Amino acid sequence: MEESNEALCVGIDLGTSRSSISASTGERHVVDSYVGWPVDMVARKLVKKSVLIGREALDNRPMLDLRRPLERGIMKEGSDKDQEAVQELLRHLISLAGIKQKGKNKSRVRAVVGVPAEAFRVSRQNLRNTMDGIADSVMLVSEPFAVAYGLEALLHALVIDIGAGTADFCVMQGRYPTEDDQKTLSSAGDSVDEQLDKLVRERHPDAQFSVHMLREWKEKWSFVGEPKDRVMVTVPIKGKATEIDITQEMRSACESILPPICETMTTLLTKVEPEFQDKVRNNVVLAGGTSLISGLADAVTKALNDLGGGRATVVTDPVFAGSDGSLAIARDASSSDWERLSL
Amino acid sequence: MATLDETKARLLRGAVQDNIGVVQGVRVKRVTRQTRRLKFWLSGSLVTVALVYLTVAADMVRGRAPLQSAAPVNVATPIVNVELTPEWDAPLSHPRPIDRSAIPLSVKTIVIDPGHGGEPGATSESGLTEKEITLDVALRLRRLLKEEPFEVLLTRDTDHRLSLDKRVSFANENKADLFLSIHVNSMEPHTIRALETYYVGPTDDPTTLKLASRENKESEYSLSDYKKILEKIYVDARRDESRALAKTIQSQLFHSLKTANPELENRGVRTAPFVVLIGTQMPAILVEIACLSNDDEVDLLTKPDYRENIALALAQGIRRYAHSLTLAERKGS
Repeated sequence: MEESNEALCVGIDLGTSRSSISASTGERHVVDSYVGWPVDMVARKLVKKSVLIGREALDNRPMLDLRRPLERGIMKEGSDKDQEAVQELLRHLISLAGIKQKGKNKSRVRAVVGVPAEAFRVSRQNLRNTMDGIADSVMLVSEPFAVAYGLEALLHALVIDIGAGTADFCVMQGRYPTEDDQKTLSSAGDSVDEQLDKLVRERHPDAQFSVHMLREWKEKWSFVGEPKDRVMVTVPIKGKATEIDITQEMRSACESILPPICETMTTLLTKVEPEFQDKVRNNVVLAGGTSLISGLADAVTKALNDLGGGRATVVTDPVFAGSDGSLAIARDASSSDWERLSL
Repeated sequence: MATLDETKARLLRGAVQDNIGVVQGVRVKRVTRQTRRLKFWLSGSLVTVALVYLTVAADMVRGRAPLQSAAPVNVATPIVNVELTPEWDAPLSHPRPIDRSAIPLSVKTIVIDPGHGGEPGATSESGLTEKEITLDVALRLRRLLKEEPFEVLLTRDTDHRLSLDKRVSFANENKADLFLSIHVNSMEPHTIRALETYYVGPTDDPTTLKLASRENKESEYSLSDYKKILEKIYVDARRDESRALAKTIQSQLFHSLKTANPELENRGVRTAPFVVLIGTQMPAILVEIACLSNDDEVDLLTKPDYRENIALALAQGIRRYAHSLTLAERKGS
């Protein structure tokens, strides 16, 4: 493989909830995929910035026009502001990686960006266009493919990358995956949030909470299967801070994504040549932020048992698996390939 | 057995080729058994088209209404390791309209599909949601068509989430003769107040592609599924019937609403790859009845009279279309 010495390589996992970057400089960063602009002069004076990104944007959200510019793993359509937000997010990620974007010594950037396995062509083209001026050359790859490449799980493996917006599936059979080898589902982390919101509101109609609080609860206590502890959270009810038990709601919300995921996994497995199905069943890899739901790998393994046995494991570093894999692709691609993909 | 480096090199070639394909409007596709089956299917379709052509030629000799010729279907595809095929939205062939009298049709069952549900769809600044409007208009339309000799079914009659493929299955399983999906648009700039009706087909219009991408979000179909289904459409007379239905509905809606909404823009009949139009097996259209992004239209939509007018226009359009089929059938017999 040819090392791209003359330019900096980055792998980016542009996620609906979180985005990560891994750079050939050795830097790795993750940010919440939020971008906010101060709503007026007063807000601008208070936050002391023209644009805030990630956690900083979330923490100052009452003063901001806050955007979550990615939806189901791809740029939201139809709003110039959301497109601007994606550009700000990308610039921020690249600056975090220590890459100089302006001036005479501006670095040349070769970026591999993960997108949902079945992203529309128009969405992929929009993303390419958005990266004009941010990177010099861009390659878009499916997120689970990037994960598989980074893990070198290139043969007889099924990668399921479960993010916030989408769950992306890719069967690796030693060749570049085709449409038949990949699937994208919209049942992912955000649909867990929606379920949890609905279930908690049904049981505690007077409880006041925001989607950001829900996401924090999910990140701390999400699980499938039998609970290890009760999930107790504090919310205002009629103005009074009240502790409520959301154990059952958390379990039901998290388990709601299991049936579509297991069904899609089965569909893809049946497309594998019969003599290799056993190998693939025993090499199911879960990645993405939502794969951190406690007990998820065991539940998927249980579903594999119904198909004759198998094993699902969560990657060591689910948050960076996508961007690390993308970086590996960026480093391995030749200079002539990058020239063909220049913006 | 290939080494790891050889496998990686092969994968990289595929990734680069796929990206170049995206830029140029083609997509990498492996030659598979499915491809061969598709070629076989297309060959079969070509034979079918030829047979229909010969039948019509015989009819012309007998002085009956001619069936116009279908353009040839190109089944030639290079067989190499990495095959470049046209992107799914590129036209495969261009069928000409089929004389309705050649295929007797009538409307017995109508499926009305109120867009969205559970999730709000488009939302106005004041909080009015697409799901509320579409359901309200659909319920009114069902009431208005109750006296007609049609069986009217709704994909949903409450506010609940329903995936697009379930809507499609519902229409197909009930053997509907007509499928009408009701939606409300959201456009920029917000001054636009437009009425448009879609039937299935390719589009190069980026705005329409964005709209299709947005409306198709609830689908559990894969992109490869779309592609396969779309490839079948081009030799399908259903498309022409859908266009006729779309024209009738669009015309009726615009003329009925422009008095109450004088600045309404008639954006006409368009084609787009909406999932609910791709998967349904009967004449099917998707109507964007208003724009929730326009404050004046939002005001109108909050008035029951205006919503009733929309439902009345849709009902009248359906009646006119059904009547035109009856006439065509009589002409044929």
